[in-house]
Amino acid sequence: MRTDAARLVLLLLVGGVAIVASLVLAGGFGATEIGYGDVLAAYCQLLHGDCEVDAIQARIINDLRLPRAMLALLAGAGLALAGAVLQIVTRNPLADPYLFGISSGASFGAVLVIAAFGIEGMASGWSISSGAFAGAALSVLLVISLAGQGVQVERMLLAGVAVSFMFSAATSLVLYSSDPSASATLLFWTLGSFSRASWAGLLVPSVVIAAGLLVFIAYARMLQGVLAGDETAHALGIDVKRLRIGMLLLSSLITAVLVAACGGIGFIGLMIPHIVRRLMPAHTAQQLIATAIFGGVFMVWVDVLARTLIAQAELPVGVITAALGSAFFLLVLRRRAWSDR
Amino acid sequence: MNAAPKPLMQVSNLGWRVADKTILSDISFHIESGRFVGLLGPNGAGKSSLMRCMYRVIQPSAGQVMLAGKDIWQQSARGVAQQVAVIVQEHTEHFGLRVRDVVAMGLIPHKRLFEWETAAERDQIEQVIQALDLIALADRPFAQLSGGEKQRCMLARAMVQSPQLLIMDEPTNHLDVHYQIELLHQVREMGVTVFASFHDLNLAAAFCDELLVLDQGRLIAQGKAGEVLTEDLISTHFRTCAVVDEHPLHGHPRVTYAYHGAAPDEN
Repeated sequence: MRTDAARLVLLLLVGGVAIVASLVLAGGFGATEIGYGDVLAAYCQLLHGDCEVDAIQARIINDLRLPRAMLALLAGAGLALAGAVLQIVTRNPLADPYLFGISSGASFGAVLVIAAFGIEGMASGWSISSGAFAGAALSVLLVISLAGQGVQVERMLLAGVAVSFMFSAATSLVLYSSDPSASATLLFWTLGSFSRASWAGLLVPSVVIAAGLLVFIAYARMLQGVLAGDETAHALGIDVKRLRIGMLLLSSLITAVLVAACGGIGFIGLMIPHIVRRLMPAHTAQQLIATAIFGGVFMVWVDVLARTLIAQAELPVGVITAALGSAFFLLVLRRRAWSDR
Repeated sequence: MNAAPKPLMQVSNLGWRVADKTILSDISFHIESGRFVGLLGPNGAGKSSLMRCMYRVIQPSAGQVMLAGKDIWQQSARGVAQQVAVIVQEHTEHFGLRVRDVVAMGLIPHKRLFEWETAAERDQIEQVIQALDLIALADRPFAQLSGGEKQRCMLARAMVQSPQLLIMDEPTNHLDVHYQIELLHQVREMGVTVFASFHDLNLAAAFCDELLVLDQGRLIAQGKAGEVLTEDLISTHFRTCAVVDEHPLHGHPRVTYAYHGAAPDEN
């Protein structure tokens, strides 16, 4: 349909504007009040290098707030995408990186690395990332091996819940047994924060998420086929088992990279795809693009809330997403109960 | 000239065993191009398993299935899906997919990764939507349709797949009488070769050129409805007493069940 093409253009336009506007506006919030004129001047300095700006303000904007907002954008987009794809391949609207134990596996791996080496020491960048990815890969392997022949959806979900609780318990044990100051850092980190954002740290997440989005779009038609049911999908020539495992692995990779960069942030993967499906019942490729854009923009503003809700202090991002997420689902439930009458 | 046309599908000596349990054994038949072939049999006879062997989901443990002269296991799943469309009874969450999206799924075996729909394919989808009277529903969520509308949508999807053979597992299940008859007429109008399973013997007799009867994994009868649907067969294999006579309007066999006790003697 031509209307579908028009909708895609509109989606990309609105999304692009929302992303740019959010990044610019988010730069104005924080411990130091910086006017939007100065924010724009700082960005101008970053792009052209010859604009009149206050050097300190420019550093705050360009070296702290912009990479932070971009990490939030990536995290929101990636987690929402991973959630949306997991929901499709399992045909379960409650699936998200948490439910499959991917997040808890990644958290456990990262926490173990941090506890062993200390957050300031060796435990920076690659070692945390590798720890998180090893944990995520372990949990995915466990889930797939428990899912039985043919990778049945129901067994996969139950296995995911079991693995998730197991890794949460292990993470709690590590937190409990490390010394108080380290465990405070660890706890803050497991609840999610973008405070460690840097330009260098953006490379891996942006490459992984961009590649992931591209693969998801390439397979969008087949993903849609899986929604019709395994038997119909088989009959449409789709290798359901391979597709399901491949998508699960890619979602885990995205989640692991993000957990490594900013800790465990829940509810985004559950909430954003749910909202997007309600707002735009379009074909899957467009839904996935919209999910990435919406998730990213949403997360930028959640991070602004995290930085500004309490003066001179920062809230863990995961606390805010969890609070918003539960309120959102209560609202959905209430509205459903209302319309059922 | 009386040369038999080459069969579209040839099933020879097909058998399937799972863990020492024989589900299907020694089944041979063929489907000629353009025919409407019905598959009958009591519950648990192996009808769905036979169909799954025919659309390349179950690899049989004996015998083979040839599609247009080539073993289906020598062809890719995608290659088979380009020639065989399947409608099964599946109830899944469709996540707000519109009717149009479900119909467009028929393109899946014909498209490569990243490949966009061409203008011709979009036209084809529109034509099918129009032909099956789905225009008013095209932008509605699939999940909100009634059973009959859903089945019509799945038929539209199968038409977009433009197959040579359409396999349907109990397509009239859960449909009211009107939709049952309408659906089968729409299938006939597609002009495609059809292989479909039925529980309603009268419906099968009315629409099928040929019938196969399966019981306990064995093919026990095949031929025209008049030859296959006998009172004897119905009582032996369907464990129900019935009177078979001629349909007053169309002349094909009509099955009338005895609901209370045995069928009365004719007098």
